[in-house]
Amino acid sequence: MRLDRRRFLAGSAALGAVGLGIRPAWAKGSVTAAVYPGSWEEAFRGIVAPALDKAHGVQLEMQALYAVDQIAKARAARGQPTFDVFVLDPGPRVSGIEAGVFDKFTPSKLTNLGAVPAGLADEWGVTVAAQVVGIAYNPKKLPPPKDWDDLLKDPWVSRLGLTGFQTTFGTVSIIEIARRFGGSETNVDPFFVEMRKVLSKVATIGTPQSMAGLYQQGQCDVLYTNTQTVSTLKGRGVDIEFVKPASGAVAFFTTMHLAKGAAEPENAYRYIDTVIGRDVQAALIQPPWNFVPVNREVALGPELPMKTLDEMAGFVRHDWTKINPLRAGWIERFNKEVAK
Amino acid sequence: MRLAEWQLAMPLTLAFAAFFLAPLLILAAISTFDDDQLARVGFAQWIKFLGDPFYWRVVRDTLALGLMTVAATVLVGFPLALVFVEASPRWQRVLLFVIVLPLLTSVVVRTFAWIVILGQEGVINRTIMALGLSPAPLRLLQTEFGLILALTQIEMPLLLLPLLGVMSRLDPALGDASQALGASRWRTLFRVTLPLAVPGLVSGCLLVFASSTTAFISQSVIGGNRLVYLPLVIWQQSLVVYNWPLAAVAALTLLVSVSACVVAISALGRQIAGGRAAGVAHG
Repeated sequence: MRLDRRRFLAGSAALGAVGLGIRPAWAKGSVTAAVYPGSWEEAFRGIVAPALDKAHGVQLEMQALYAVDQIAKARAARGQPTFDVFVLDPGPRVSGIEAGVFDKFTPSKLTNLGAVPAGLADEWGVTVAAQVVGIAYNPKKLPPPKDWDDLLKDPWVSRLGLTGFQTTFGTVSIIEIARRFGGSETNVDPFFVEMRKVLSKVATIGTPQSMAGLYQQGQCDVLYTNTQTVSTLKGRGVDIEFVKPASGAVAFFTTMHLAKGAAEPENAYRYIDTVIGRDVQAALIQPPWNFVPVNREVALGPELPMKTLDEMAGFVRHDWTKINPLRAGWIERFNKEVAK
Repeated sequence: MRLAEWQLAMPLTLAFAAFFLAPLLILAAISTFDDDQLARVGFAQWIKFLGDPFYWRVVRDTLALGLMTVAATVLVGFPLALVFVEASPRWQRVLLFVIVLPLLTSVVVRTFAWIVILGQEGVINRTIMALGLSPAPLRLLQTEFGLILALTQIEMPLLLLPLLGVMSRLDPALGDASQALGASRWRTLFRVTLPLAVPGLVSGCLLVFASSTTAFISQSVIGGNRLVYLPLVIWQQSLVVYNWPLAAVAALTLLVSVSACVVAISALGRQIAGGRAAGVAHG
């Protein structure tokens, strides 16, 4: 058996536990998974970990990391990953494939694969959740915006909370705004041109992590975000509504992948299979988690802008193999032109 | 067997080399690659960074933020320190607890609390509007003023702790002697107390400066994306676009420029302390 950093630490802890008369929790095996911090981490601790233990006797160890942090950490680890499973948005997924940090994935090992719509699993991983991005606004303070370009018009622009290209939802939203002014997936120039005209009016230009807090504090009343954030805020009594833009909401998928050199690949498959299972997916769509499921056997909630998962095929999608090479330049341009 | 002095120092030297020097050398090595795959050696990222006026502006703004925070912290912190040394031992214990308390809470929590205070519907704006001082809420968040205000509170313990350490040890008889010789309270403050407090003040200023220029969380949450400082550039380049060489260049620039300012502040402090001490001796 290979003795790596993780096994050494686990073994040391187990010896200590035995010494204290405690049965090691990972006696039947474990899997270490990267999980997004916040609601994902809470949901996975509360729902997925018990389900995995019950179904397979496998203990779930979690590392709370954003998608970009996972890729950075895996690249830095150079073949000695500190976790077995990635959870990623499409941009970091493409970066991960290019950086060679994934092991090849065998979808047929998943017993729940048949319940997942076609095209959501490939040689690199499988989709475990969807995200729908559109516009959110405060109905008590503003009329509903109709489309992406409304965000740069009054009365919305002076109440707009803007974020840059650091996140997937920020990037796709700006692309869609640019599209309304003649841009495209690879040309966001029109966004910058139009933004220059209204920049002084924009209420807030914040980091993605702080946008929900800024909205709650009344610093802005309209922003682009995903349905999950809207449902979560609504569940806390915040005045917020989701608008599906007339030119289309954006859909993108969150995928899971095997880390190259994973210590527990078989348990990793059991874990991913559990995540896409009907019962877990049905639990994850409930408040306060509000996930968008990928399992056809799960009924969608009324707050989602579609009745079936198949409708998402008509949503706007983006090719991140084209976006990724341009993103660094867009971030730099945003810093130079939109910051002070 | 008796060990020589250099042998006794070896464990510490090795630890220093492994945990401080080696990471810095790795950082410097990473900055000498042209591409994010670390395959082509070159100085393209240094040329890009140093040749772009935008990045010079970011460096300038980062250092200016540190200096302004130091000034604001001293302006508020020094009078607080005077109150502290004048207080009774019982009150000193209470004040010390209040000063240390912020260090016991997460900087994330303290920073997010400032959103509530500085927001459009926050405490300050509500008060201003209730008093009729402004018809509309002021923009306090995502301004340099708001960020310095928040950093002043967040960094205050770093100034006060070394300052109080020095000021608490000052002999009260010195002040009494100064006043007995005819000096006013202000003259005593500026000619006796302040010069003797300079070592603590300089230590506190250095800590506040170094901490505020690298305060990524406060800068990004309070300043948002409207204000760009070096820590944000480092984060974006290393974790969003994976351009590690450019992130390393920005990190080394931050390290060198902050260190240069720290040395300058330290030298200035020594000069002031020396000059004042001479003044006290001869005046």
